[in-house]
Amino acid sequence: MPKWFDSFTDTIESDEQQYLACETCGHGTLPPRRLCPACGSADLTREPLSKRGTVLSFTEISITIPKFHGETPYTVALVELDEEITLTGQLRDATADDIAIGDAVVLGTEPRDAGTAVLTFRPAEE
Amino acid sequence: MPPKIASVASTKYDEHPDSSSRELFVEAAIDAFEETDLGPSDLDAVYVGNFMGDLIEDQGHMGALLADHVGAREVASIRIESACASGGATFRQAVHAVESGAADAVLAGGVEQMSIANIEHVTDALANAADDVYENEQGLTFPGIYALMARRYMHEFGARKEDLAAVSVKNHNNAVENPLAQFQKELTVDDVLASKPIATPLVLYDACPVSDGASVVIVVSEAFAADHSLDTSASVLGTGQSSDAVALQDRATITRTPAAERAAEEAYDEADTAPEDIDVVEVHDCFTIAEILALEALGFYGRGEGTRGAVDGETALDGKLPVNTSGGLLGKGHPVGVTGIGQIVELTKQIDGRHPNQVEGVNTALAHNVGGSGASTTVTILGGE
Ligand SMILES: [Zn+2]
Repeated sequence: MPKWFDSFTDTIESDEQQYLACETCGHGTLPPRRLCPACGSADLTREPLSKRGTVLSFTEISITIPKFHGETPYTVALVELDEEITLTGQLRDATADDIAIGDAVVLGTEPRDAGTAVLTFRPAEE
Repeated sequence: MPPKIASVASTKYDEHPDSSSRELFVEAAIDAFEETDLGPSDLDAVYVGNFMGDLIEDQGHMGALLADHVGAREVASIRIESACASGGATFRQAVHAVESGAADAVLAGGVEQMSIANIEHVTDALANAADDVYENEQGLTFPGIYALMARRYMHEFGARKEDLAAVSVKNHNNAVENPLAQFQKELTVDDVLASKPIATPLVLYDACPVSDGASVVIVVSEAFAADHSLDTSASVLGTGQSSDAVALQDRATITRTPAAERAAEEAYDEADTAPEDIDVVEVHDCFTIAEILALEALGFYGRGEGTRGAVDGETALDGKLPVNTSGGLLGKGHPVGVTGIGQIVELTKQIDGRHPNQVEGVNTALAHNVGGSGASTTVTILGGE
């Protein structure tokens, strides 16, 4: 995994996660951008990113790639965090049968091989 | 003066476990040469659409390799890669080369050899069309990406699994009459729904198969066609191409395909035509949801209404807008980097009046080819004389 992603997941573990906000147009994006994908501005500043979001969509995967061999079935969710940043991660503490679009979830990470981490979502406590 | 299509040819799309990219490509090229009495010495360039040669066959540098194998060792050659839109992008570059006057005759082909790898390896190779870090490394697969789009679409517009399945049924049934198609078996909605899940809500028959094959189109200038007394029927009236974020998570919406909307607008403008003028369509139905999104992006249906095409029979062979008369990617097969060229082959046959599922009175035809989950899209509009 590239260093920038390891840095990103490290910040989630330490509750210091950030996203990049465009000073020109307000669009939010994720590292390692240097230019705003919405307007091309280089004026990006780091802002705090929450861990709470809602499920935009999800899928339970039965046929996977070698890296996840033997782990099926597992559920991948597309989640929009409160700052309108969307992330892709694996569902934990629940199955596809337990969640629905619009459900509140919390972002986390889970260690994988060689010191890298996968993004995870858990159902939010009320 | 629009470029002309001098000849077209495809191999059968199927599993060809004992073949290879060079053999499949040459098989299609020879058929294309024979169809029109053109030969390698007439070519100014060879463009090759290919996505996974280096991932599956350990073979990059396909442009020069295949130019050599079609007997045109010294011409300009290049491999063009835009994931599953490699074929459409290759065709468009050939059209531009002819339009600019840089070339008079370009062989635009595509080839893919996929079935020799096991399913996890192929799934892994296909995943290269997605964002590796933000998608694949999180466990998302290529079918999984379309599954996310399908579930969201069903949520927003009340579509049902049966509505998606209707697309698969239509396209599989069209494939039965196409001798070049991979599947030769009719399906029912129940057959589709009973197939095994791959990435919920999508099941096996919501997805296209793993396919090997090659297709070739020879694009020529009008002057070249006249000089060589070529009997051409199809002209390239317009093309369009647009891009979008590769990662699904970076898109403003996942129930629309804006790159296709932009590519279509460009192609309609260049061809000076509109959706209501189109007689027959080949769209990129790698998954059932993809055909529905395509019909909306191309202006044939409003948002959330694309399911009507297959469910109400409007996109059937005898409907008002036949879509994927070839069988589409679902029934005909999807050798990834070939598909955009294969669509041009099918539509040229429709314009020529020699398609196995011939539609009456075809004058204007449209092809739509998508890379990834919508990050690359080409649209081509062909016209008859
Ligand atoms: Zn901006």
